[in-house]
Amino acid sequence: MRNRREVTALKSFRIVSLVVGGLFLLGLPLWTSQFISYLMLTFFAYAITVIGFNLLFGYTGLLSFGHALFMAVGAYTAAFLTSKFSFHYMEIILVVAVIVASLLAALIGAICVRYIKIYFAMLTLAFGMLFYTFLLKFYYLTGGDEGMRVLRPYLLGFNFSEIPKMQFLTGSYYLYTFALLAVLTFVMWKIVSSPLGLCLKAIRDNPEKAEYLGVSVRKYRWFAFVISGAYAAIGGALLAPAIGQVDPGLTYWTHSGTLVFMTLLGGFENFLGPLIGGVVYIFLQDKVMSLTQYWRFIFGGILAFIVIAAPGGIAGMISSLVRRRKS
Amino acid sequence: MIETILNILFSGVFNASTLFLVAAGLQVVFGVQKVFNLACGTFYALGAYVGITVVKSLVAGGFPTPLFIVPLIMAGLLLGFIGPIFERGLIKFVYDRDETFQLLLTFAMVMMIEDIIKFIWGTSPQTMGGIDLVYGQLNILGATIPVYNLIVIGCSFGMAILIGYILLNTKFGRTIRAAADKREMSEALGINMTWIYVKVFTLGTILGTLGGALVIPAGAAVSEMGVELIVLAFAVVVIGGLGSMKGAFVGALVVGVLKSIAISTYPELEMLTIYIIVIVVLVIKPQGLFGGGRV
Amino acid sequence: MILSAEDLHKHYGEFCALGGVSFQVYEGEFISIIGPNGAGKTTLINVLTGLLKPNQGRVFFKEMEITGIGPERLSRLGLARSFQLVNIFPNFTVLEFLMVAIVSRLGKVKNFFSSLLRDQEVTEEALVVAKLFGLDEKRDMLTKNLPQGDKKMLDVASAFALHPEVILLDEPTSGVSTSDKNKIMETLVSASKKIGIKSIIQVEHDMDIVFSYSDRIIALHQGKILADGAPEKIEKDEEVVCTVVGQKECFKIFRAVLNREN
Repeated sequence: MRNRREVTALKSFRIVSLVVGGLFLLGLPLWTSQFISYLMLTFFAYAITVIGFNLLFGYTGLLSFGHALFMAVGAYTAAFLTSKFSFHYMEIILVVAVIVASLLAALIGAICVRYIKIYFAMLTLAFGMLFYTFLLKFYYLTGGDEGMRVLRPYLLGFNFSEIPKMQFLTGSYYLYTFALLAVLTFVMWKIVSSPLGLCLKAIRDNPEKAEYLGVSVRKYRWFAFVISGAYAAIGGALLAPAIGQVDPGLTYWTHSGTLVFMTLLGGFENFLGPLIGGVVYIFLQDKVMSLTQYWRFIFGGILAFIVIAAPGGIAGMISSLVRRRKS
Repeated sequence: MIETILNILFSGVFNASTLFLVAAGLQVVFGVQKVFNLACGTFYALGAYVGITVVKSLVAGGFPTPLFIVPLIMAGLLLGFIGPIFERGLIKFVYDRDETFQLLLTFAMVMMIEDIIKFIWGTSPQTMGGIDLVYGQLNILGATIPVYNLIVIGCSFGMAILIGYILLNTKFGRTIRAAADKREMSEALGINMTWIYVKVFTLGTILGTLGGALVIPAGAAVSEMGVELIVLAFAVVVIGGLGSMKGAFVGALVVGVLKSIAISTYPELEMLTIYIIVIVVLVIKPQGLFGGGRV
Repeated sequence: MILSAEDLHKHYGEFCALGGVSFQVYEGEFISIIGPNGAGKTTLINVLTGLLKPNQGRVFFKEMEITGIGPERLSRLGLARSFQLVNIFPNFTVLEFLMVAIVSRLGKVKNFFSSLLRDQEVTEEALVVAKLFGLDEKRDMLTKNLPQGDKKMLDVASAFALHPEVILLDEPTSGVSTSDKNKIMETLVSASKKIGIKSIIQVEHDMDIVFSYSDRIIALHQGKILADGAPEKIEKDEEVVCTVVGQKECFKIFRAVLNREN
């Protein structure tokens, strides 16, 4: 057991390292190449998505194999509003994405949270693929398999169209996305530290006992589903301008698999785990892709290794190392 | 009019035949080991690619073309024996884990095997060049059906009966059913679960590779076929009920015929209808038509 | 009358677990349900707490029908239960475990962003319950690391933390050494008084405990009530004692009865 002084020391260490890490990320574009900053930018978007995803997976114990659906909703909202309606105000785009995704998540979630484990995974996979077919087949609306272009949004009302693309992305857009990541991570921290967070963990560990203690299992699972869907939509809407083109592949079940991979890689039992997983995945994928076209084989092997030998992910490995050094 | 219906029906049943094999493989592994093997579609793809290579090289070497179905089936069957490699090498480590982790492991297998396929065969589609027409076509009431398709339907049907017989009448079958029903009890009765798991997984893999091998003469092997098939196979087992062989049979027929109907009427709605039906079934009767157990 | 069961029937296919069980529980009573294994005791608790729907019959709580309403709504109405086989949250600390019950009782979940750690009210209430059950020293220990007896206590304590009016305990002293059983019972009784629980219903096998603490005993056998009455009445009922209690206990009790009458 830890005494009071140890606890506060640990807390301060955590806060300090977070601030240092945050400052490092903030200033990254100043001392690295544009390409690395660009990768970081995509990481920010995925980070928001997986932080939300882990509320459902790590904290509530529900594995969704269709979560990329909500990311695609956000991305397509951005594409739609910017190219079809020439509407560029990013803040409104984000709000619309959240509203659409939340409504969809509320509907889909109401159906899915009645089931658990394999059935939940299968149902969410089905919905994800349903959306995929919708995006593919209704091409006059969605652009079919070619997708839609995403035009540059206005950030906080400012039009940056004069600036060359990469400079915009690694400059103002980078800061904008990072700020959102910081805020949304803080919000998620509040959620998981709240009574709702406690109840979700209880539902994850023992839904029967949780019910006997007055916890509304289905209702709270639904909350987690909707919140994580909203987060994914924000992530998708932020990713869209960075990649410039959205296509139905965003909601293909294997893309949902990527989200799970990132979360598992970093460690689903740790609050910041998914963030670690996201950044490692993106940079590792880039590195491996440049070495071989068979990167999926290597990543498949990594996933297999994690599932079998290191289910706690990177964060899990770090904490067991720390624990071993202490004893 | 009648020809159209018959054409739809026969192509539907043909789809169903190969779907049934893959779904049966999925069911038997889920029923006994409780592992939902996402890689079953990838095994199917593997069967297809290997089938093409084997038959093409044999025929090029002078093997009589009309007999191509023999090495094809043999290739499909023998390939399935890579099953134990995956079962002992990977899956056995997660039997005592949460179902969702087992699912993720099979997802990892999909990623790895897909790239192996890409490495060996590349990404461009492969075909057997219409070798299935070697057996000619039959004309039934105006509908033209390749005889090959009928052979495949017959094979599948035969497999279904064989599987049914094994499950109901042989010691192995009874052991499988006992293991699927009550695992601890079976272990307590001295049944060697390890050996059973290996055998069952191998059976599941063989069914998958055989399905892929059989379907390929009538179509093309493309790199997405494994990943696409899992979605159909999953629709089959949802409709039929997880863990039920009867369900695999009925579910395959439903999905196969539906797919066929959709292709001839509204191709855009093909997968859409199937997913909607999956969702409807999962909502109304999540156990499917023949499945059991809690959801 | 606070809880009543009306003609409860429950079968699993051919097997009849409950074949027409009716009884009433009044405020202030301590009731023990006894019976050999397979008599239907746990099924009865499951039906009373709404986990199972009976094939026939109804359950009433304070005039309101609660048949099959499910554990969550039940706990809000004022009925809680503990489990025979320890039912816990392995990764929670003792304090967090109790906080789940407190949080749902106080309706704190609505506020998504309130910080749980800083919430004095919840923490203090959880500590109060922990103290009642002798667990406050271990408040930061992970549940999975607790000794078996403490795990059981925690399971029971969490049910008490709901401040129910009626509590059902499924074998609260099972798996505990005989010397500790009385200590546990004393803890339960004094905690009930402090929290204000009106009635306690327990399923129990240990006859010493049953006869020492109960106001009333209900004997269940093969899904039917064999006898329902005060301990003095039950211990004289030969049929009950020998069927339900078993031969060995038979002699112990008759000897105790004889000793008392001399």
